[in-house]
Amino acid sequence: MITFIAFSLRRAWQGLWRNALMTIAATATMVLMLLLLAGFWIIQTGLLAGLEFVEQKVEVVADIRDGVPDSQIADLQARIEEMPDVTSVVYVSREDALARFREQREAQGEEDLSRFLESNPLHASFEIKLLNPAFFDAVYNRLKDEPAIERVKNIQDLVGRVLTVTSFLQTAGGVILIVIGLIVLFIIVNTIRLAVVARSEEIEIMRLVGASDAFIRWPFVFEGALVGLIGSAVTLGVLGAAADPLGQFMFDFFRVLPIEVGTLGRDLVVLVMGTGIGLGILGSWLSVRTYLIR
Amino acid sequence: MTLAPPGATPSLRERLFRATPERSREGQAVLLLHDVTKTYPNGKTALRDVDLSVPEGDFVFLVGPSGAGKSTLIKLLIRDELPTAGSVVLDGQNLVRLSRRHVPRVRRKVGIVFQDFKLLPRKSVWENVAFALEVTGTPGRRIRPAVDRVLALVGLTAQSRQLPSQLSGGEQQRTAIARALVHDPRIIIADEPTGNLDPLISWEIIQLLLRINELGVTVLMATHNADVVTALRKRVVALEEGRIIRDEVGGAYHRED
Repeated sequence: MITFIAFSLRRAWQGLWRNALMTIAATATMVLMLLLLAGFWIIQTGLLAGLEFVEQKVEVVADIRDGVPDSQIADLQARIEEMPDVTSVVYVSREDALARFREQREAQGEEDLSRFLESNPLHASFEIKLLNPAFFDAVYNRLKDEPAIERVKNIQDLVGRVLTVTSFLQTAGGVILIVIGLIVLFIIVNTIRLAVVARSEEIEIMRLVGASDAFIRWPFVFEGALVGLIGSAVTLGVLGAAADPLGQFMFDFFRVLPIEVGTLGRDLVVLVMGTGIGLGILGSWLSVRTYLIR
Repeated sequence: MTLAPPGATPSLRERLFRATPERSREGQAVLLLHDVTKTYPNGKTALRDVDLSVPEGDFVFLVGPSGAGKSTLIKLLIRDELPTAGSVVLDGQNLVRLSRRHVPRVRRKVGIVFQDFKLLPRKSVWENVAFALEVTGTPGRRIRPAVDRVLALVGLTAQSRQLPSQLSGGEQQRTAIARALVHDPRIIIADEPTGNLDPLISWEIIQLLLRINELGVTVLMATHNADVVTALRKRVVALEEGRIIRDEVGGAYHRED
């Protein structure tokens, strides 16, 4: 068993060096394909984060009738918070609303017009965050007939359009990623097949002198795994070198994004390593198999 | 020199390869074909009702025109193909009923030599021969003495570090013969081993095969080389259109009536 593993690893290593041209071609193809896959995966991740960010902006704003007692407001807030589709409810008092209005005017460099007012004309309101913008209708319908609610801001049309766009982009992104994944799969497996076919004479001789299937197969499988390992290491090196400008691009392109660089990096390493080594092994296994089954 | 009763002295082959006595079964058939018919999926019948028995230590020429079925017969012997009907028994094992898993072990009992040598161009003579042992899981310490021994036998010790491209055709074929011998096979099957060589070198290769045969290894050689076959007066098996039309000891390449 140890003889066998040592033999397979030594043969895999020899295979890499003695067929340097094929190894370089296969590794280069692997790197390009993995960069393509990783690139689209990064864009897809950014896109999904951006869409989530947009969807979180959708909230239900319900103005509260003037003169409703505090106890009733607290009671209503508690009931809204219990709704299954709601993540949080923020009570904005009339004073808060006025203060906010002033801040906005100031931030825009406009004159504070509120000082001309005799009393505060703004309503107190609830700002209700939803689990998903698709729940807007349900929450809207429940609130609009509440006696304590003056009016619920109706942005149903807007919500509908946002949902259409985001779900389209999500689906399109997913489909493109799957198509890219399949292209990468076929190209890598085919490249490795070419490297194996180039050595069909060697396999033929091994069969004739009585090598068992395992002795023929495993050196090639290890070799495929090594090409995958080298290919994914180079890919990660390139991505690492490009990480800073790439991060800047992501920031500029998708604006403020809640992407954690740490998890992105870890997922990316798993994706690239897994794809590279996995496809290297799969390609070798399938290619050698055609010579073994007789 | 003292005379010993027949069978008591170990054969040359045993002395050379240090085989255990019970492995040597002089006179018993190494190869036994019974009613073998091979029809390919395209409907072409390459062999019909072939019966052939090759005893241990025999030297057999397999002759016949191209397309007579020689190549198919050889493919059956190394179980590269299975017969449509009949049985192929090699060293007591019926190849027809052999499971795929056991095929490699049987192939190690057959040393095969081709017209085009089938050497790996990037490996030296020594490495090409050692390759046959490495890929069958032979421990490294057993490889070196075995390779050195067969290279000495074929006379290539001096060339062992050279690549096939640096060798003459005859030397390349001797490398292939050394590789076929390194597993200590029961039978050497040579498919047109002199087909790519000029007459003088061809004789060299034939002499080498004869010497190996004298050491006790059974040899089956398919050939078109009429001069060699007729001159040597060995056993000749002639195939034509898939049938054995002649099987005579001391025969010539062509029928002599």
